[in-house]
Amino acid sequence: MEKVETMLTEKETEKPQVPEFVVRFSVLQRLEHFVAMFLFLVLAVTGLPQKFYQASWAQWTIIFLGGIDWVRIIHRASGILFALLAVMHLGTILVGVLAGRIKPILIPTLKDFRDAIQQLRYYVGLSDEHPQFDRYDYKQKFEYWGLAFGGMVMITTGFILYLPNLATMYLTGELVPAAKVAHSNEGLLAFLVVIIWHMYGTHLNPDVFPMDTSIFTGKISRERMLHEHPLELLRSSASGSHPMDGGKGRSLEPQLAASAPARLQSANTPDQSREISSE
Amino acid sequence: MGIHETLTLRLGSLRREWKKRWLWQRRRILCLAAGGAAMALLGMPPLPVGPPPPAFASGTGDTGQSAAEVCLGCHGSEGMTLSFPSGETVSLLVDPQKFASSVHGKSLNCTDCHTGAQEIPHPQLKVKSRREYTLAQYESCKRCHFANYTKTLDSVHFDLISKGEMRAPICMDCHGAHDIQRSGEHRARISQTCARCHGEIYASYSRSVHGKAILNGGNTDVPVCTDCHQSHSIEDPRTASFRLRIPDLCASCHSDKVRMKKYGISTNVLDTYLEDFHGMTIALYRKQGFTQKALQAVCTDCHGIHDIQPTTGPGSLAMKANLVKVCQRCHGNVSENFPAAWLSHYEPSPKKFPLVYYVKLMYRIFIPFVIGGLILHIILHVWRMATNR
Repeated sequence: MEKVETMLTEKETEKPQVPEFVVRFSVLQRLEHFVAMFLFLVLAVTGLPQKFYQASWAQWTIIFLGGIDWVRIIHRASGILFALLAVMHLGTILVGVLAGRIKPILIPTLKDFRDAIQQLRYYVGLSDEHPQFDRYDYKQKFEYWGLAFGGMVMITTGFILYLPNLATMYLTGELVPAAKVAHSNEGLLAFLVVIIWHMYGTHLNPDVFPMDTSIFTGKISRERMLHEHPLELLRSSASGSHPMDGGKGRSLEPQLAASAPARLQSANTPDQSREISSE
Repeated sequence: MGIHETLTLRLGSLRREWKKRWLWQRRRILCLAAGGAAMALLGMPPLPVGPPPPAFASGTGDTGQSAAEVCLGCHGSEGMTLSFPSGETVSLLVDPQKFASSVHGKSLNCTDCHTGAQEIPHPQLKVKSRREYTLAQYESCKRCHFANYTKTLDSVHFDLISKGEMRAPICMDCHGAHDIQRSGEHRARISQTCARCHGEIYASYSRSVHGKAILNGGNTDVPVCTDCHQSHSIEDPRTASFRLRIPDLCASCHSDKVRMKKYGISTNVLDTYLEDFHGMTIALYRKQGFTQKALQAVCTDCHGIHDIQPTTGPGSLAMKANLVKVCQRCHGNVSENFPAAWLSHYEPSPKKFPLVYYVKLMYRIFIPFVIGGLILHIILHVWRMATNR
């Protein structure tokens, strides 16, 4: 694999007028993350005390929030909103993909697994090169699909628990306690992933400490882009515009644009080129 | 010796006795003075420091006998009656045998309780009816049994009396007057005592698994009325706070491993209840100090209150065939599938509720696997960064 990063850095020193930041997330995506984050927080704060209700901290939280009845109302209302958000997200993607406006670039590819292995080899010192990522690296894809599948489990089981009368109309009653076990464990898992993995990735990770603001401002520094998503940067240079730029045609790396396609060809594995060829 | 001389002697000895007791009593009173002052400030009933309590068995043996004999001189034979302005006529006969074999037979004298009757002839009574006399008389119990007396002040019965319902029971209605026996000695009698007023509930209780066991089999493991309702501080069982305590009430026996082992009953019933939606809500309502009527099911809603039947019997509400009707009482017109949503106090296992069991098992493996992997990834990242430096 060619060292794209090194080459880009060389170019940067030659051309200091290149924009410092890259727009990585659209306003809608930022808003979506914000709403999801807010609902996740509310759901965790009102959900975990229900799971561990015999612990004193849980009882304190429940009483602080006005009692179990209020906690349940808040939890269910946020759950319904979360389900709506999920439906909107899914709908947007489905329509976008069908209309050809969105490419399903979050779908895991063989490269992601190779990247993960390469990353681990790099971590343990078996390799001196860490993998080069495109718009979303394997960790981000893992989190996205974790949230997607976890969210589906939470929404389905949540509605079973919310409407047990309806759920048991045709299905076995045992589904309700099973849904409760799944809901409470899946919720705990989601919470742990966010607290451990997401908080590390976006706050404690020395690369971004104290906070990765890109999902709120939409902007990411060129330096980080270079380090974390070099292939995307290259690709946008090649096509002359950033993928999230709304097609306004702002070139990030005009100087690179000419030679980019050749580099991409060599940096990417064959299965990846399918995705980026039309960008 | 004439009656009057005997009485004077008796009173003299009583006074000496009181003096002795008073010296002892004073120490106790000094200790309680601070508390008493605080209680008085708070408007609570003052400590019983009025007339010192009567002497107990210790020093009154012989004189007591003779004093009782004095009273029995008149009250020991048939014929004496007392008429109240209400028109009631009451026999004044006291069976000496009965009194002697009562708990107070050896320790108390007639006038210890009948304090108004120390003079002969007795002063004119100022009450209009027999009940009024009893109500006035029961004050004398509290001079010795103050703790239990104060408990009754919190009871639903006292509440009724204070509202003017004079039929509500006081000490003597349950314990008797001259023939008081230790209440623990005849466990079955406790419920029969309550039955004098609560006949319908007693009938229902006597048909229940608990009632049958004690009334027909003399089994003392089962609860009698007072085990659930208390003996003195009997609360209105229809209140929210009583309802919230029901699971703990039942669990006080049903979590007792030794007692339940005899009958092959699971002691997991409380834990499995608390695992479930209903139990959790009730437990939290209790923590919150919930004051409205909790609409969540407690033990008695499915198992019955006084008419509890074994869950294996056809009469049981909680029996599988009947359960859907029990659920429908609160959950509307739910289907036959609905009752299976409640695990019937079972811990999920491969045989009982396998779906729940395997989902639980899956997460028990899946969560540590995922979280462990992520933590390992983070550690490796940190480690590489540290070695790069």
